[in-house]
Amino acid sequence: MKRFKNLVKYSLNCIQRYKVRTLVILISLGVAAAVFSSVAFLKDGLVEEGKLSLKYAPDITVQGISSGRQTFIDTSYVGLVQAAGVTAVAQRIWGYGNIGNSLVVIVGIDLQNTTISQTKFVNYTYAFPLESGKFLDPQSNNTVVIGKGVAELLGAEVGTLLTMYTESNLALQYTVVGIFNSDSSIYNGDMILMNINAARTFFNVPEGKVTDLLVYVSDIDPDLKAALVNYVARDISDWPNIRIVTKDVLLKAQETTYGDRSGFFSVVWYVLLISAAVIAFNQTVVVGHESKFEVGLLKSLGFSTSDIIQIRLVESLSLGAIAAAAGLTFGILYDSILGAPVLRDFMMGWATLYPSFQVPVLISAQTVLFTFAVTIVPMLFATVIPSWLNATVDPDIAMRGARA
Amino acid sequence: MAQRYRGPRYRHARCQSVIEAVNLSKTYNLGKKNQVEAVTEANMTAESGQITALVGPSGCGKTTLMSMIGQLLTPTKGKVLVDGEDITAYSDGWKAIFRRKNVGFVFQHINLLPNLDALDNVMIPLTCHDVDLAQYREQALQLLAQLGLSERAFFNVEQLSGGQQQRVAVARALITEPKIIVADEPLAFVDEASAKTITDFFEKLRDEGKTILVSTHVSNLAKLADRTYAMKDGRMASS
Repeated sequence: MKRFKNLVKYSLNCIQRYKVRTLVILISLGVAAAVFSSVAFLKDGLVEEGKLSLKYAPDITVQGISSGRQTFIDTSYVGLVQAAGVTAVAQRIWGYGNIGNSLVVIVGIDLQNTTISQTKFVNYTYAFPLESGKFLDPQSNNTVVIGKGVAELLGAEVGTLLTMYTESNLALQYTVVGIFNSDSSIYNGDMILMNINAARTFFNVPEGKVTDLLVYVSDIDPDLKAALVNYVARDISDWPNIRIVTKDVLLKAQETTYGDRSGFFSVVWYVLLISAAVIAFNQTVVVGHESKFEVGLLKSLGFSTSDIIQIRLVESLSLGAIAAAAGLTFGILYDSILGAPVLRDFMMGWATLYPSFQVPVLISAQTVLFTFAVTIVPMLFATVIPSWLNATVDPDIAMRGARA
Repeated sequence: MAQRYRGPRYRHARCQSVIEAVNLSKTYNLGKKNQVEAVTEANMTAESGQITALVGPSGCGKTTLMSMIGQLLTPTKGKVLVDGEDITAYSDGWKAIFRRKNVGFVFQHINLLPNLDALDNVMIPLTCHDVDLAQYREQALQLLAQLGLSERAFFNVEQLSGGQQQRVAVARALITEPKIIVADEPLAFVDEASAKTITDFFEKLRDEGKTILVSTHVSNLAKLADRTYAMKDGRMASS
């Protein structure tokens, strides 16, 4: 134990002794860890946010297509969705609107949806739990329920009169009757709910047309449900001029955009690997001679190969851990406190539309551990392997080689 | 029933330290175009309580032979016997333990670690021993004092002269109290005063019964030797 303590002390002494090397490693690994962690936290936050926003999404969304582009869908399709397993079909009209300088999503919901059999899915208060006030009245066309973030942005509360402008610049007024606080901060940050008829007026949507149809299937065993959704989707897809988007496809699209395989994340990953390779190169080539000499000398003084590896292991682990901790701290501050400037615009294309929106950041133990791993492992390879190679040759050869 | 092999004799114990080099040869870059035969079939003996000197011109193979005897270099042929046991047959790990427990090296190129003070350099060999380093601090300071460096103990070694550095290296070689001291041209880059201090110290060590093996071209040190071997072109010329 005393011997191990001595070796650890020697390792820590090496960190102090080679100040320039230590500084170079800490800065380069720290920057790599900071870049990686801030992207990973933001990515995890976006993926999680996406999942939350789809938690109460319909199993199938049916949209109209004309000339290959999305258009309104005829409400007569509602009657056609009578496949076995479909429990409800709801209509929806939605789009973007302006309140002052803020752009919001206005969603007109079908409070009297065509319910084939009553289920919880179309009970909108699950997706939009109220924090204050009451939910929309199906008979009222001039009331709205707004997200908590929207309320904060506009300084609105229950009873506030909101003026919104249509595409034809017509000012329409709505009374806030409720404020919801959803699991999804995207919804909270930019969504205004109103009766579908109110939305029809606001967006000037012709009678008999809606933006999309929301199809819900039986809430049964997940595997059976997936099969049922596919069956219904296949059945519906035979109809002309429509597009089918299942919840599963939306989840996969989000994963593709923000997940581990997303282009941006891959780029960051490559940057990190290149950084690690540069550090490894620096370690093996620039510090190589110095290290080789020291290994030879230590062996001649009685250190064994395993002693040398222990020393380098502790040194690398310490440096890697310090760099990872510093990088993680910076990554967290950058994302959470500073709101991820620059990175935010890369990760969320629409972010500029919602200046008030807080970037979703998810700091998971998995990402923290992974950041430590991707910081420490290259460091171990870069230092322990060359040391081991030097330590396996005769001490005299190692010292002569270093002097040459 | 056969006895289970429990490792080499010097796994735990210190050697008595009669060293014999038997037909030691070293060829660098064996089988390549630039093959160099540095030492050819060298035989020599060093005993405890004696200074054994290896003399010869520069490049004659003294350092290579010393390195092979000290187990810093694996011979191409031949063996090194310590108290009759072939230590060249040891594994890399056992060789490290043998060096740790029995050998103190003084190098021609001094080989101190930069960015450390003299005291820390002296303490380095103890790092791989199962000891409390703090308890050896006083001993290290005493060694430095005996070598005339008490006022330089906390100086960075880069601030010391060549002679002072070599005295630090001698203290480092002795901190673990080895039975064998292998000193390769210890006076090569050393001023006259330091050379005298080191020479006197080696005499004292001899009186303590250490086995001292020195390669040198300095006549003063060679004169002290109880036994002298002369080398030329990698071969033993005389003894």
